[in-house]
Amino acid sequence: MTIRLTLNGEEREFAAPPMTPLIDVLRDDCHLTGAKPVCREGFCGACMVLVDGIPTVSCLTPIALVEGGKVETVEGLTSADTPPPVQAALEAHDAVQCGMCFPGMVVSLTHLTQPGECDASRAAIKAGLTGHVCRCTGYERIVDAALAVMEGRQ
Amino acid sequence: MSEVAERAVQNLRRRDARDKLMGRTRYTIDRGDRGMLHAALLRSDIASGKIRRLDVSRAAAMPGVRAIATAADAPGRAGLGIADHPLFATDIVRYCGEPIAAVAADTEAQAKAALAAIAVEIEPLPAVLGMAHALAEDAPLVHPDWPSYELLHAGGKRGGNVAWEASVDRGDVDAVFARDDVTIVETDFEVCRQNHVSFEPRATVAHFEDGRFHIESSTQVPWTVRNTTATVLGIPPSAVRVTVPPVGGGFGLKFDCALEPFAAILARKSGRPVRLVNSRREEMETCLFRENAQIRIRSAIAPDGTIAGREAVVLMDCGAYGGEQVFLTTMTAHTLGGNYKLGAARIVSRAVYTNTAPNGAFRACNGVYNTFALERHTDEIAARIGTAPDAFRRLNVIGDGDLGATGQVFEGEVLRPMMAKMETLRAQTPVAPLSDGRLHGRATTVGTWFVFTGPSAATVNMNADGSATLVTSGVEIGSGSTQQALPQIVAAILGLSPEQVTVRAADTDAAGYDVGVGGGRTTVSLGAASRTAALDVRTKLLKVASDMLEAASEDLVLADGRIEIAGAKGSGLSIAEVASHAQLHLGPIAGTGAFAAANTPAMAGCCAGHFIEALDIPVFAVHDCDIAVDPDTGHVEVLAYRVVQDVGKALNPRAIHGQVQGGVVQGLGYALHEEADVGPTGQIRQNSFETYRVPLAGDVVPVAIELHEGAPSIGPLGTKGAGEVPILNVGATIACAVANATGKAVHALPLTPPKVLALLLDSAPPPRFAHIKDRHIDNRLPPDF
Repeated sequence: MTIRLTLNGEEREFAAPPMTPLIDVLRDDCHLTGAKPVCREGFCGACMVLVDGIPTVSCLTPIALVEGGKVETVEGLTSADTPPPVQAALEAHDAVQCGMCFPGMVVSLTHLTQPGECDASRAAIKAGLTGHVCRCTGYERIVDAALAVMEGRQ
Repeated sequence: MSEVAERAVQNLRRRDARDKLMGRTRYTIDRGDRGMLHAALLRSDIASGKIRRLDVSRAAAMPGVRAIATAADAPGRAGLGIADHPLFATDIVRYCGEPIAAVAADTEAQAKAALAAIAVEIEPLPAVLGMAHALAEDAPLVHPDWPSYELLHAGGKRGGNVAWEASVDRGDVDAVFARDDVTIVETDFEVCRQNHVSFEPRATVAHFEDGRFHIESSTQVPWTVRNTTATVLGIPPSAVRVTVPPVGGGFGLKFDCALEPFAAILARKSGRPVRLVNSRREEMETCLFRENAQIRIRSAIAPDGTIAGREAVVLMDCGAYGGEQVFLTTMTAHTLGGNYKLGAARIVSRAVYTNTAPNGAFRACNGVYNTFALERHTDEIAARIGTAPDAFRRLNVIGDGDLGATGQVFEGEVLRPMMAKMETLRAQTPVAPLSDGRLHGRATTVGTWFVFTGPSAATVNMNADGSATLVTSGVEIGSGSTQQALPQIVAAILGLSPEQVTVRAADTDAAGYDVGVGGGRTTVSLGAASRTAALDVRTKLLKVASDMLEAASEDLVLADGRIEIAGAKGSGLSIAEVASHAQLHLGPIAGTGAFAAANTPAMAGCCAGHFIEALDIPVFAVHDCDIAVDPDTGHVEVLAYRVVQDVGKALNPRAIHGQVQGGVVQGLGYALHEEADVGPTGQIRQNSFETYRVPLAGDVVPVAIELHEGAPSIGPLGTKGAGEVPILNVGATIACAVANATGKAVHALPLTPPKVLALLLDSAPPPRFAHIKDRHIDNRLPPDF
């Protein structure tokens, strides 16, 4: 089955069985290895991508469901050398440790820090991160960075 | 060197952060190669049995299959203290998940299809699934042939299902307990397993080229992978090269050889690169967990409130093979035997074989549950003798010149000043009183940990452009030590900025031996070797500069990329000028450095079976928390968490704060809801994120942190390891606070809501282990073995 979609701004066609997880197409066919297959059951958020602007776990999304849609991966969020505000804030807050969860975190925070998406409060940001697990950092610096972006301090 | 130490201190950012944030970092799971095959393992689905038939001929004929490996391809046995572990189950299967065969095929799907075509018949044998059964008189032996295994470390007693026994005997404990003026307090404790859940699973890509193996792996221990792969394959270690891409989390899980030899064999057989990655389910079911353990502590308290004597039995479930657990029996003497002055001490720590997935090393291994047990026991002592817990601790904690359990003499007054700092920190971070019916609890605990010293090597190459290249076998597992502390140390000595120090990724062909990244040793051991190598370069640079400037070496200073004559800024040369002059006329400048354990002595004759008898670098921690317990649901909320941590010298305070926050949160998971255990068939019951609950953003609080500097350390510039210890007393602190809130004795972790409710309802009797005998001597193997 041929599936057409827009991937990081580029029209692409894939010949894959319709139930193929989106993450496998991204990683194996497109060599976009930013999204990480960590739990493969939608709990950890490390494989998060934007589908038509909405954070979506690519491990549980069959490729057929994004036919005709717009998919943005963490690689697509950073085309230039200068990191966007979310990535810059996480870097400035020294939030990164092993880094495996961050591609997914960055995708969700990119969405969450859009105006009107989330209150600029620690509690609201933590609620917004419910679908993400980080095993290294203990989260607080990620929240600090998100808050800084929302408050325009970045 | 104090000027150098001060120059080394800075909140340097991580150089690897940006690529990690942009999704560009290539971890082992992200790597590939042309013609690469995908491998999969056939694992046992029963806990104990005899392999009656194993036929791979049908699988070998399946589409895409390029190579199959079985026990015949890996003749050797490996281990840490005992060579008890074959790569593949050989005749006997000892745990659910044990590898039986490996297949490499063009695709992962083909490899898995081939696994299903392997004919295997296993005759079930009686399985030993818990330590009570393993220590019973008539228990089947997990390793009937244990006496024939090669011993790799002398001194530990072994016998039957006791893989290893380490013991401490100092003073006449029987006489102390027989005194009529002592108060005797005895408590049993139990903890389950904890899964590391590092985000990157164990993963490897192996190549076989020009008669040698090149293994890329997600590991903390490239040299262990090199040597163990050689042992199980029966080849010289020099035939194996290990390189390590950025590692997506380790926490101790990757402190042992894992999948690498399977991929290596398949690469040799197929002549193609082979990738092998654990699925999350394999990772959950065969995790080298923090071990489940059972503990009994008995103390004799003198009328003056001092601890006249203490005896303890610690049973550690090592699973089907000894592995790291054999080594970790050592740590009981220093963790459960730590913190307090003891008049006399008698401690035995046993690694017990069971037919379950092998356990391993996990951040502050052994220390986390022994500190839980010790600190809860301490609170029970204080309650029994009618003393405030803090006052009891202040009286009894180890101070300058005091003896540890193994008779080591501790230097420096550390814990008492740290406790005083905690009182201040507590006063600065008050919590609001609860008015919602929940029960408030609080606790302060102390903990003793260490730095795993041991051999490290470093080379510093001084480049003609004025930059330096640091070459070590140090792995970046996420803590940042190789990205921050190491270049900070080298740069401070050479008068460079840390950005001018390139850090070579681990490669056993490029750098000398290293124990590995773990045990808080990167900044200390690799840092010390790097410091020596940088000093070597510095001496050589100054010699060349002295000739060029016609000034005595001792009159020269290195700073800001220049070598100046002291007191005459601008009079000298740039380091690049000196380095390029040297390169042209004398050859490039390089320096080497090495480090090894100091082997601090214990009291003679105190210890048996220990790998480390005394701590080269003790590390202390004081933790404190406020919690709220919901009496209706049993839910525990952490209201505030505070840490005063002994760091020696903080080279990168911001990085250390990040480690403390992350380590405490991992500890909160252990204390409150992370629970892995063995089901009735011997399988680990929690095999996914759905069934194993790790902390989420909503569960955590910002930890209030104070770093205690100035305690003695042989680490470079006075440093101690800071990344491992933050998890040490979290279980202890939460448990003591829950006991404080509820008025009930806490004897087990984790404190899930059902367990807290059972405490409140008095419906869970305290553990009492019949297989831990009343007489201490009955918990020891006979002396003649």
